[in-house]
Amino acid sequence: MSYMGLIYSYSDRENLRELTSNRALAALSIGGKYRIIDFVLSNFVNSGIFEVSVIARTNYHSLIEHLGSGAEWDMSRKRGGLRVLTPFANKESTDSAQIYKGSIDALANHLHSIKKSMAEYVVLTGSRILYTMDYRDMIKAHLNSGADITIAYTNQMNGTQRIPQGSPMVYLDEQKRVQSVEILDEEQSDREGSWCIDVCVIRKTLLESLIADATSHQRYDLYNDILKRLAPTLKIFGYEYCGHLLEISTISTYMEANRAMLDPEFASKVFQETVYTKVKDSVPALYGSDCYVENSMISDGCQILGTVINSVVSRGVHIDKGAVVKDSIIMQDTEIMDHAKVEHAILDKDVIVRDGREVIGHPSYPIVLPKMSIV
Amino acid sequence: MSLIKKKDMVAMLLAGGQGSRLGVLTKDVAKPAVPFGGKYRIIDFPLSNCINSDIDTIGVLTQYQPMELNAYIGNGQPWDLDRMYGGARILPPYVRGKEGEWYKGTANAIYQNIPFIEQYSPNYVIILSGDHIYKMNYRWMLDHHMKKDADCTIAVIEVPMEEANRFGVMRTNENLRITDFEEKPIKPKSNLASMGVYIFDWPTLKEYLIRDEEDPHSSKDFGKNIIPTMLADGKRLFAYKYLGYWKDVGTIESLWQANMDLLKENISLELYDPRWKIYARNGNLPPQYIGRHATMKDSHVSEGCSIEGTVENSIIFPKVTIKKGAVVKNSVVMSSTTIDENAHVNYSIIAEGVTVGDGAVIGENTNGTDAVLISVVADRVTVGSGSRVESGSVVDSNL
Repeated sequence: MSYMGLIYSYSDRENLRELTSNRALAALSIGGKYRIIDFVLSNFVNSGIFEVSVIARTNYHSLIEHLGSGAEWDMSRKRGGLRVLTPFANKESTDSAQIYKGSIDALANHLHSIKKSMAEYVVLTGSRILYTMDYRDMIKAHLNSGADITIAYTNQMNGTQRIPQGSPMVYLDEQKRVQSVEILDEEQSDREGSWCIDVCVIRKTLLESLIADATSHQRYDLYNDILKRLAPTLKIFGYEYCGHLLEISTISTYMEANRAMLDPEFASKVFQETVYTKVKDSVPALYGSDCYVENSMISDGCQILGTVINSVVSRGVHIDKGAVVKDSIIMQDTEIMDHAKVEHAILDKDVIVRDGREVIGHPSYPIVLPKMSIV
Repeated sequence: MSLIKKKDMVAMLLAGGQGSRLGVLTKDVAKPAVPFGGKYRIIDFPLSNCINSDIDTIGVLTQYQPMELNAYIGNGQPWDLDRMYGGARILPPYVRGKEGEWYKGTANAIYQNIPFIEQYSPNYVIILSGDHIYKMNYRWMLDHHMKKDADCTIAVIEVPMEEANRFGVMRTNENLRITDFEEKPIKPKSNLASMGVYIFDWPTLKEYLIRDEEDPHSSKDFGKNIIPTMLADGKRLFAYKYLGYWKDVGTIESLWQANMDLLKENISLELYDPRWKIYARNGNLPPQYIGRHATMKDSHVSEGCSIEGTVENSIIFPKVTIKKGAVVKNSVVMSSTTIDENAHVNYSIIAEGVTVGDGAVIGENTNGTDAVLISVVADRVTVGSGSRVESGSVVDSNL
């Protein structure tokens, strides 16, 4: 039996300000050296699924550059392998919302590629939620239950505070069959129903006919138009996920997710299975004579001469003498010069904070400095 | 269409050496596979030099304990050496006819692989060893070789006179033409030492390899036989002076020193140079975590480490755990080692997978003397809680 993965590299329900204005959500840096897509792809690799298509929508330049041939995820294969499905440019509108009319339309656009695959089953997932799952277990449950569609849900909030607005919730009966599906109109912290974590297993031929059927009726949204609509007729089963969970759709949940990885116990769960990423061949991190580092994640190629506290620092970052970085996320190749001060901030790639400048946000509203800005 | 394309220069990397002076560190691995500088192995340096010099065809000659080295090199992908034509090829000794044959010397190793080199019909062959830490553009050396219309060019470096007896030593005229050459002389006449990097015109070298093989009294060695014979025949041998950082890491002390050199400012081994990266096989590990009680100073620390103690003037390899209250100073700690609470490690090389128990003390009593004595703990050894290891001692079984 063979499986393929389909990953949505974007989300309609995210507000990450400047962080995703020029890159796909899946290409967003997280946990120091990683991008969100690394966690998703590694789930597939660690589940022995080596045929994965990544659906791109807009601004997929950084995504494609990061993924390359897929060799670093062991996905440069003759049989299967990694494919990035970019939209065709023949649409009337260039508005991102119009490129695909919804999650089903995105699949419909790439139906040709999906049909070409020899895989029998599809594992469909998003990029907004980080989890660690062996899909083989979920597929096994899918086969055992005889379901048409199996969707993963969780009843625990392992690592996340709130269920964000727009999240699909499922209501199950005792046999775990989905009775109904609902999309949350507003953020919720006490749960009612079970939170779908954006993972579905479905037979490929069924998916293909559902896509064709929905599109011919101008229905374009996977949750509303397939799962919710067809819950009474199709056999849709739930599969409970009990592991850790990080939800990334706003600046504050993005901060929370990074901060969660600073907890050694939580990190040991996140990194229990190998997480693959692009190799940069950078030098091991260097700590200078007068540096001070506390409760922080530091990546290769960094030169830490100043102070770093409660922060997540990506590869190739320079923190010069006397500089202080607190409660912040610093992305690749950013430089924080002498005696500069950075607090409650997210500094994107290639940012320069010059001598003595201060970049100070508030815990409830961190400052975001876009790529290549100079302070 | 021929399957093989002609290459102007092929590299032959001698990686079969045992490196016996590294003692317990080369018990299970060949010297080129010895870890260095936090994430590298010695062989990463010549391999990266090759690819950075646009040499993409490399025969890696292995013999002693090749398993780890073979796995490490794999298909050569980390060094961009997975090529359709050329790339990295492992060349172990093999059986011909009825009898197996080991490589009997450096020259014999190349002799046995004449067919490999011939596939590419190169004009030049560069002979390298997997024993040294340095960055070098072999193209510049080839330019020198061509300009001098040489049959052989030897890369040389000036060493202190008292150390010259460890090397092949030569004298040259003002044109850098080599006038005499002695391998490890008792009384060296010069401090111009061979770096073990040779460029030969391939047809000339091939002729000398075949001749040398027929000589029953030859020890089949480049320094002892091939070079002196070529000199005696009046061939054109030239020296190529190298001025950068170069370190032979053949002994515990020199391996430790070369690691410590990485922490000095302004050494010419510039690892951060984006045009000359040193590539290494990657371990797919998460970033390092520096805890709430850590003190970091003048150190290189690698991925997957978790540091809660004090690290000073040290090189820490991937996946090392240094617990609260532990102090690591002036040391090299290799992969997957754990230093438990309140243990002290100073002036030491701790190999892979070692556990240093609570409160154990290794190599602390060096004070007072100028000569630094390095303690070594062999791989997978457990140094029990509270044990003491004297400076300069070697621990190769559990304590």
